[in-house]
Amino acid sequence: MTAQDFESINSGQALPSLTKHITVEQIRQYAEASGDRNPIHLDETFARSAGLPGVIAHGMLTMAFANQMLTDWLGDRSRLKRLQGRFAGMVLPGDDVTCSGSVASKDEQTRRVVINLVVTNQRGEKVLNKGVAEAEFSIQRSDNHAT
Amino acid sequence: MTDARWVGRSYETEPFVVTEQSIRDYMAAVGDVADAGELVAPPTYAMVYGFDAYWQLWTDQEVALDVAHLVHGEQRFNFQRPVRAGDRLRTTGRLTAINTRGDMELVTFELSARDEKDRPVSDATALFIIRKA
Repeated sequence: MTAQDFESINSGQALPSLTKHITVEQIRQYAEASGDRNPIHLDETFARSAGLPGVIAHGMLTMAFANQMLTDWLGDRSRLKRLQGRFAGMVLPGDDVTCSGSVASKDEQTRRVVINLVVTNQRGEKVLNKGVAEAEFSIQRSDNHAT
Repeated sequence: MTDARWVGRSYETEPFVVTEQSIRDYMAAVGDVADAGELVAPPTYAMVYGFDAYWQLWTDQEVALDVAHLVHGEQRFNFQRPVRAGDRLRTTGRLTAINTRGDMELVTFELSARDEKDRPVSDATALFIIRKA
């Protein structure tokens, strides 16, 4: 991770996008790591009986990808202060989801930036929309600070 | 339809002791393995240390949410400080609203996580959608 420099950020600039390929194995791994073993994520027969097309990925796995796009760009996980989004569509094994975002605003006084983000699948359908994140860049200690 | 009288019910997790292994398992599961030296949990790791609060809601036999038809609709987080191995975090979740939209039921769950010194670590709002059976 290379730390993003606050001064070089411009309102409107796009963040590097992040694409992930979804597999049954990753959904299982996420279920284990998170504790969320709801059978709609793990059991094909159960998922179909619940009216779904098959097992679906956890919404929070999709949000974790958005989180990664943000923190890869920020270069420091501790800078992320807010993250929200709406799960607009189902993510199924075999899907490729792409997270993208852009800087909506930058506040020089608070050293905060607001980022709008969206996650789409391989058909361009939004699977996470109304995504908003906020990051804070703490003031670096001045190099020429008198001691 | 979930009975609206359960609005206000709250759940608390036991202290969750964050370990390096737990953070690394989560990072591996989501494929976010970047390491900047000091190990800081991805912010969405809040779902791991707070998970038992969600679980208590989903499995509360009195509230009896129709979890087979429950999907995650929205999620919001605020992060007050980063999480590292060694943290002992306790999460409180509160069922704050039950609404209907068409033939769907919308359940709002608000969570707050605090550390061993009772300082805020993160808060969250989850919206669950229960589709008609």
